[in-house]
Amino acid sequence: MAVTRTTELTIDRRFDPKTCRHSINGGVQVLHCHHYATLYSQLADDCGMLDGKKLLAEVTEDTYFDVLRNCYAANGINTIEDRISIAEQYFALSGLGQMKVKCASAESGEVELTTSHVDQGWIKKWGKRDQPVNFIGSGFIAGAFSAVFDKPTRAYSVTETQSIVSGADTSRFEVVAC
Amino acid sequence: MAVRRLDESVPEFDALQTTIDRKKVIQALSKLEVMSNEEGLIPAFNVFVNQMPAAFWNSFADRLTRRVGPDLIEAAEWLLVNAAHECGYHTGYGIITSEEWKAVVAPMVTRVPEDILHGAFAVFTAWGWAKSEIVDLVPNEKMVVRAYDYYEADTVAYGVRSRPCAYMIRGVAAAFMDLAYGGPYDATGQTGLRTFQCTQTKGIECGDEYGEFVVTRSSAN
Repeated sequence: MAVTRTTELTIDRRFDPKTCRHSINGGVQVLHCHHYATLYSQLADDCGMLDGKKLLAEVTEDTYFDVLRNCYAANGINTIEDRISIAEQYFALSGLGQMKVKCASAESGEVELTTSHVDQGWIKKWGKRDQPVNFIGSGFIAGAFSAVFDKPTRAYSVTETQSIVSGADTSRFEVVAC
Repeated sequence: MAVRRLDESVPEFDALQTTIDRKKVIQALSKLEVMSNEEGLIPAFNVFVNQMPAAFWNSFADRLTRRVGPDLIEAAEWLLVNAAHECGYHTGYGIITSEEWKAVVAPMVTRVPEDILHGAFAVFTAWGWAKSEIVDLVPNEKMVVRAYDYYEADTVAYGVRSRPCAYMIRGVAAAFMDLAYGGPYDATGQTGLRTFQCTQTKGIECGDEYGEFVVTRSSAN
C-alpha cells in the first residue's frame, strides 16, 4: 500500500476595502449558493444547441487549471501526491464537496466524491434525477489532472459513471487521456 | 436623487435616509471567513454556499452569451439573471434571518423594510458581490442601485462592451425588492419571487463610471 503524506493548502485570504472584493491566494473569489450553481447547471443541461454541458465543464476546467497551476508554481509543489492533495483541498475549499482521487496516472484515473455541492444542491432544490448534473465537478477533475501531470487543458476526458443526484452513496468519475 | 412618496396619506419620509451604518456593516462583515466543513460543504443561510473564482462565473456567462447568437441572446441573458434572482431571493432571506445579520445589522434597523434594503446592500458590498448602494428608492415601487466596482465588469480588459453584462447584480437587486415588498417569503418560490424586475442602464463594462440598475414592479404582475 502506497504511503502518501498530506500537504496542507496555504490559504491567503484578503479583503480590499477600496474595491470591496475578496481574494484567496491572489484570485478574486465570490460566494454563491446552490440555487445559483444548480440553475447554471440546468441552463447548461438545457442548452443542447451549444453543448452547454461541455461549455460549463470547460469553463470549470480552465478556471481550476489556472488556480492549481499557479498554486503549484507559487509553492513549489512538484510531487503527484502533493499536487493531488492540493487539488482535493481546493475542491473542498470551494465548497464543492469531498473529492478523493482513488488512482491517477498521466493516462487515466478514478475519482470519487463522497459529498457534492452540485448533486446535493440539485436534490435540495428539485429532487433526484437519473442523469448526471455535475458538469462543474467533471470540469474540475479534467483541469486538476492536466495541472497535476503538466498537460494542457482538454488533455483528459472525464465521464461520470455514478451520481449522488441519482441516489448513489457517492459520485464516481473515470478519467482517460484524450 | 429623487425620493417620492407612494401614498400621500403616509407620513412623509425620505427612503434614502437610513439608520444603517454602512461603513460599520462592511467593516464587520467583510471579516467573515467562509470555511467548508469536514465534508467539503458550506451549509449556511439555509443553502449550500460555494466559494469559487469570479472568473468562473464570468467565463460561463460570457462564452454562453457570445455564442448563442443575436436571436437567443436575450433569452440567455434572462436565464442568467433568473439564476441570480432565485439565488438572491433564497440566500437573501437566509442572510436577513441569520445570526450574523442579527448581531450586526438588525440593531441598526428602525424602519422596515427600507432599512433592511439598505442593510442588504451593505452586506452585498461586504461579501464582495458588488460595491453598491441604493441611490433612489420609492417604497413598494422602484429602486435604483449604483455599483462602483463589481466582478462582472471584469469581462472587459480592453475597450467597452456594446451590451451590459452584470446579470448577477440585476437578479439580486430584483430579488431584494421581492423580499422587501413582494409579500411573505415563500421557500417554494411560487409567490413572492419575480414580483420585481431589473434593468441595467449603465455599466462599467460599457465605459460608464458605475453600473446602474433600475428595479421596478414586474410587468407580469
